[in-house]
Amino acid sequence: MVSSGVQAPQVDGYRPQAPFLDELFEPDGTPRPTARALVEELRRLGPQGLIEAGRRRDAIFMQQGITFETSGGGGATHERPFPLDLVPRVLSGQEWRDIKRGLAQRIRALNHFVDDVYHAREIVREGLVPWRLVASCPQFARAVHGIRPPGGVYTHVAGCDLVRHSDGRWKVIEDNVRIPSGISYVLENRAAMARLVPELFASYRVRPVDHYPQLLLRALRSVAPSAESEATVVVWTPGPANAAYFEHAFLARQMGVELVEASDLVVRDDVLYMRTTRGLERAHAVYRRLDDDFVDPLEFRSDSLLGVPGLVRAYRAGSVAIANAFGTGVADDKAIYCFVPDMIRFYLGEEPILENVKTYLLSDPEVLEHVLEHLDQLVVKPTGESGGRGVMIGPHADEVELQKMRRVISTDPDRWIAQDLVRLSTVPTVGPDAVLQPRHVDLRPFAVFGERIDIVPGGLTRVALEDGSLIVNSSRGGGSKDTWVLEDGDDADRAGPPIADTQPPALPDLRYGEWTGQQQQQQQQEL
Amino acid sequence: MLARIAHELYWLGRNLARAEFTARAVEAVFQAELQGTSETTPGVSFGSGGLLAMFGDVHEGPRSGQALGGHALGQLTLDPERPGSMLASIERAREGARTVRDVISAEMWEAINTTALGLRGGGQPGWAAPAGPSLASQYVKERTALIWGVANRSMLRDEAKCFLDAGGLIEISDMVLRMLRVALPAGDSTPADGHALILLQAVGGFHAYLRAVTAPPNARPVARFLLFERAYPDSVAACVDSLHEVFTTADAGPRNSKPVLRVSRLAADLDFQRRALPDGAELTGICEQTQQELARIDQDVTERYFAGATTAGLRR
Repeated sequence: MVSSGVQAPQVDGYRPQAPFLDELFEPDGTPRPTARALVEELRRLGPQGLIEAGRRRDAIFMQQGITFETSGGGGATHERPFPLDLVPRVLSGQEWRDIKRGLAQRIRALNHFVDDVYHAREIVREGLVPWRLVASCPQFARAVHGIRPPGGVYTHVAGCDLVRHSDGRWKVIEDNVRIPSGISYVLENRAAMARLVPELFASYRVRPVDHYPQLLLRALRSVAPSAESEATVVVWTPGPANAAYFEHAFLARQMGVELVEASDLVVRDDVLYMRTTRGLERAHAVYRRLDDDFVDPLEFRSDSLLGVPGLVRAYRAGSVAIANAFGTGVADDKAIYCFVPDMIRFYLGEEPILENVKTYLLSDPEVLEHVLEHLDQLVVKPTGESGGRGVMIGPHADEVELQKMRRVISTDPDRWIAQDLVRLSTVPTVGPDAVLQPRHVDLRPFAVFGERIDIVPGGLTRVALEDGSLIVNSSRGGGSKDTWVLEDGDDADRAGPPIADTQPPALPDLRYGEWTGQQQQQQQQEL
Repeated sequence: MLARIAHELYWLGRNLARAEFTARAVEAVFQAELQGTSETTPGVSFGSGGLLAMFGDVHEGPRSGQALGGHALGQLTLDPERPGSMLASIERAREGARTVRDVISAEMWEAINTTALGLRGGGQPGWAAPAGPSLASQYVKERTALIWGVANRSMLRDEAKCFLDAGGLIEISDMVLRMLRVALPAGDSTPADGHALILLQAVGGFHAYLRAVTAPPNARPVARFLLFERAYPDSVAACVDSLHEVFTTADAGPRNSKPVLRVSRLAADLDFQRRALPDGAELTGICEQTQQELARIDQDVTERYFAGATTAGLRR
């Protein structure tokens, strides 16, 4: 281990980049109160310790197959270990409670909205959301009009992307209520951190995340239309070629349920079955990990080979629960996003706890004109895409790109939105040579909606590994961090003493084999 | 075969199983103690204090926090002075294996010897770090899996294998029972028994549990699973079943053999308890009785097969 002193400047020399907020350090470079012990441990670990831990991390991830594929030059893909940064992100208990309340509120409203869109359309009649926008959304699914799933829950699993502005406030930058992914990395990151750098945990009580699969299973069971005591839950994957297959298998294994593909499923008389060695067996709840478009060739894309014919009919008949419900994509469309605060006021009668980022809908000619003029200060996103595809960050673009974008937007303004540039907060991140450097982060917490809304403490922190970059998507070179929510003893849902506090009575001493020859045995017999 | 050799093999099995299950428990506690409590009520308590209690220790010194955790886990991994440490178990196994080098295959001896050499003198580079207990535990888990694998592929299915297996089986059930006794909430006072994931992780049965049981992993169903689930090889019931099998094979006259009879009675008793007990029933009593019964079996085995070699080791 490298001692402190000589290596200390590596951490001490860390300077947050104004004007961005750094989550571990004050602007003058001193650690924030919650981060003091962590910074001390990092200093003690030193660059050598970080390099060593990084090497072990890559080895462990390769061994466990926690990798993702990147395409190098010439179309060749190669496996890289999942890029986990060794410096965790720390959230206080209070901060987390606010985020959690805000998220629960937002998800409730989004769920109401999905229900409303496929039923009475009250929000449209009130004139709050233009019907044109809803109906033109590519994820709007006419096939599921009028269907109300068990418990009225559509958005069983939701992941909203949050960012922290330089004034310290959290804002929602994007909702994701289709098939948000990344939870497996949250759990694997934590397990890896505990193995690699346990010393960082020394002065903290970090709230665990490993109960997520049980929360999900409980939620899925609670919505499953099953008269029997235990509902059969399955995870439906498009197959091993899918980029998120690791996560699908991970969740199925952790929940102890079957991981099925389309060929395993069949619908007979509006009931969903899976093919087993003992004949057909009913499946009550499906956690599906493929897009609406592919799920049922009879109702959605007819050329889909990944779908199960008749599934939507079974769903309509109420014999199977689908998570997330079909058609939820209408709620996380980027054009609908700007209406979420209004939804919260309309459906829940509450003021939104989490703010939106200021967003411009380009269908209004005046707004469009304003946006075209200020394009170099704004972020432009295509409405139908996800994963950071097609996003243009004005201040980072050159004049040629801006011109091209102006033309594209003017021809089809409905397909684009513009947003103010958010100054994403930074967290120290281990760079090359183990020097800590400020890098931008966002946060995707995962919520499970069953009988109630449960949110796993923390979530997936994604980090842009390039200096100054604001793009955190792992498909575009982003990494991730373990996210710690600290136990502060003041949490309403916290219960029970910490595990080490109870002191069980000692059992009678163990006996050990006496084997070392006759003499010793004789001695012992004489005792 | 020679009574002495049978005795050595039996204890070789016990020590290997002891080392493996110590490693599993240390790893599970290590991971759990780094993190805070879960959002649900924990009904089981199994931290480093519990781990020490499992080995018959009341720990001294600081009561809470990581200072204790690191200390206790360190003791249970590489401390040569502590008879309960993984190193001590492996050293005893190596000593036993050396005595019976002619009976076991060279490959198996080498596997055991290499394991002991790898643990000595503080173990491998990097184990001094705070992650040491976890790294050492993983090493022992891997190595014992390898040793058992070699044994299963290379040993003749004869008496020798039977006694080796018998030792392993009796040790596994004893460890599982000890852990349950320490960790289970006493009495019926806990209406909502919390997650018992740590118990499953401490015996490596997490995956099997999820596939076998549909109930969430709370204390009572987990305890039932670890006690009664015959399809899971490390459950007490499965171990007792297998014990019956190996003793029947090894015994010259199984029909009137005391250990065979006692084991078959215990197997039947466990089966009866499984059927008779309602799902939420309290299980600590059964754990204690079963453990005592296993101690009696151990004694019978010693008397019948090992020419009374070590009746005096019992400290209860």
